[in-house]
Amino acid sequence: MIKYIIKRVIAMLITLFIIVSLCFLTIRMIPGDIVGQGAQPEIREAMEERYHLNDPLPEQYVTFLKNFFTLDFGESITTYPRSPVFNVIMDKIPLTLQLNLFSLVITIPLGILFGIIAALKKNKPTDHAISVMVVLCVSVPSFVFAALLQYFFAFKLGWFPLLLELEDKGLTLTKLWSMVLPVLALSFGGIATITRYMRAELFEALNSEYMLLSRAKGLTRMQSTVRHAIRNSFIPLCNIIIPMFMNLLGGSMVVENIFGIPGIGRLTVMSISNSDYFLTVAVLFFYSIISLLSVLIVDLSYGIIDPRIRIGGGKTVE
Amino acid sequence: MDENRILEVKNLNLHFKTYSGNVQAIRGVDFHLNRGETLAIVGESGSGKSVTIKAVTKLLPDNAVIDSGEILYEGQDILPMDDKKFSHLRGNDISLIFQDPLSSLDPVMKIGKQIMEAILIKKQGTKREAAAKALELMRAVGIPEPEKRFNEYPFQFSGGMRQRIVIAIALACNPKLLICDEPTTALDVTIQSQILDLIKDMQRERDLSVIFITHDLGVVANVADRVCVMYAGKIVEVGTVEDIFYDPRHPYTWSLLASMPSLNTSSEDKLMVIPGSQPNMLVPPKGDAFAARNRYAMKIDFEREPPMFRISDTHYAATWLEHPDAPKIGIPALLRHRIDEQLREEATS
Ligand SMILES: Nc1ncnc2c1ncn2[C@@H]1O[C@H](COP(=O)(O)OP(=O)(O)OP(=O)(O)O)[C@@H](O)[C@H]1O
Ligand SMILES: [Mg+2]
Repeated sequence: MIKYIIKRVIAMLITLFIIVSLCFLTIRMIPGDIVGQGAQPEIREAMEERYHLNDPLPEQYVTFLKNFFTLDFGESITTYPRSPVFNVIMDKIPLTLQLNLFSLVITIPLGILFGIIAALKKNKPTDHAISVMVVLCVSVPSFVFAALLQYFFAFKLGWFPLLLELEDKGLTLTKLWSMVLPVLALSFGGIATITRYMRAELFEALNSEYMLLSRAKGLTRMQSTVRHAIRNSFIPLCNIIIPMFMNLLGGSMVVENIFGIPGIGRLTVMSISNSDYFLTVAVLFFYSIISLLSVLIVDLSYGIIDPRIRIGGGKTVE
Repeated sequence: MDENRILEVKNLNLHFKTYSGNVQAIRGVDFHLNRGETLAIVGESGSGKSVTIKAVTKLLPDNAVIDSGEILYEGQDILPMDDKKFSHLRGNDISLIFQDPLSSLDPVMKIGKQIMEAILIKKQGTKREAAAKALELMRAVGIPEPEKRFNEYPFQFSGGMRQRIVIAIALACNPKLLICDEPTTALDVTIQSQILDLIKDMQRERDLSVIFITHDLGVVANVADRVCVMYAGKIVEVGTVEDIFYDPRHPYTWSLLASMPSLNTSSEDKLMVIPGSQPNMLVPPKGDAFAARNRYAMKIDFEREPPMFRISDTHYAATWLEHPDAPKIGIPALLRHRIDEQLREEATS
């Protein structure tokens, strides 16, 4: 197991290295002028000097890597001039985390609930209704929901504020109220994904032989569904729920933009459009770590949750 | 009601709703099971054996619709019973062993717990007592080191061991009726006979009534008292083991017997293969469903369904060949030869 983890971590580091290098290169290829058109020549010179922008690209790359490996991610150039990139990101995480936590708190139970209902009522009207909602929520991107919610509930009906309330530092009622719409917009996709998955897994479990045996033991349909079928379908469900926890940190670029939420998502958009090289690379690096870590955690958690892998020593027996 | 009958199925008809139409899986099945006896149901794949016992245990899938019929367990019709009431019966009186031991245990629950569940569901006794009884059952079905195995998961057991666990679970409730749906098909030959012996021992010790489904006629001769031969959702012949093996009447039974290898079949002896396949049950054929594959089929076989003709008190067959006006065809020579040989052998031993 330890050996396996070490192998995985090494592979992860290599992947990260490749990602960072690619980021570095692509960012430079995006057209845009860091200094800004019409800036004084002295300013331009000073900036180029400070950030080594005139060095040949390979040289810049080496310096960049050197700094990166000492965990010096550089400074933000244009978005938050001269603030260390690391601090900027850390500053943005709490708000994003907060919103996503709220979203997850409703996403997981609702997704599981709808999934169970749909599987139990498979091919009945309830299931069809849920399936239509799922298709809708999966295929319509979250920014459309965000825009629609904002238009109807905030703009037309005026029930909610248009943007996130930022004045209050603590978690006041007004702030909570203003979070409702973005949290909803963030949740639809996740609920639909979990529902779809849960429905498929549970339906399969319901039709398995072990369900027949548990009924044969004298368990009622309800009892064997709860004790065996649902239990079994939770295992594959981890596959999608764990990454959702990791994405708590990530946030959504578009939803954050629409509701004026100064979180990680919005930071990403801003840094790219401002050609803020170091910030962009660092943000993308941050995202990469999150997703690689979540893949790793999913794999490892399987080994903990599923006895076939935990005891069977990694080989699947079926 | 006949006190001696633990189970009686009367004129059962059921179909499955599918996207391509209604599959008429069971078409008028009639049979009964006496206390303490073993009834074998034989027939090729898809003849409706599993569906019949799923109906008897009310474990039919959701798309099954029972059109008519009665299923009497100890004189009570079980079809109108609700899930809760029948679950109670299933947990206490009726037990099942399935076709596929590899997948009939919950893959993520410990073996011991799965056996205990069958004991605890009846709400008698404490957890500790249940655990003790589970261990005892594991010992009874021949699991070595049950204390150690108790906390293991199904994937750590071999197929034969898993089937033993399934049998232990089936016996957990001290059932009166044990239904085995091809309990040995998924196992290799040596394990098969061990499991069969185990089931036979358990039946003798506990005086169980058993329904034994199989398509292996060798197994039938070994375990059964009476035999039902099933074809395309109907029972076409029923009789004692002797009736069916030594005096078969239905052409389908002939083909089944002729296609069965016996111990003294030498390699030169040809086994008969039943030509064709079962009719598509979306559109059940008119007349005798076996007619299209029957070398001896007469005109009437394609037009009218044969009723059950009585041959003796224990022996019935649904074939027009038993009609008084039918030509006397008799058992095919090859089969006749084999039966005679077997009878001679039995007489000498
Ligand atoms: N859920 C279902 N939906 C539609 N048709 C079904 C369903 N279950 C069974 N059938 C049909 O019912 C018929 C009888 O099936 P059954 O499983 O009873 O066969 P069997 O005699 O047990 O065969 P085997 O020896 O292979 O187990 C088959 O034609 C099958 O296609
Ligand atoms: Mg079957």
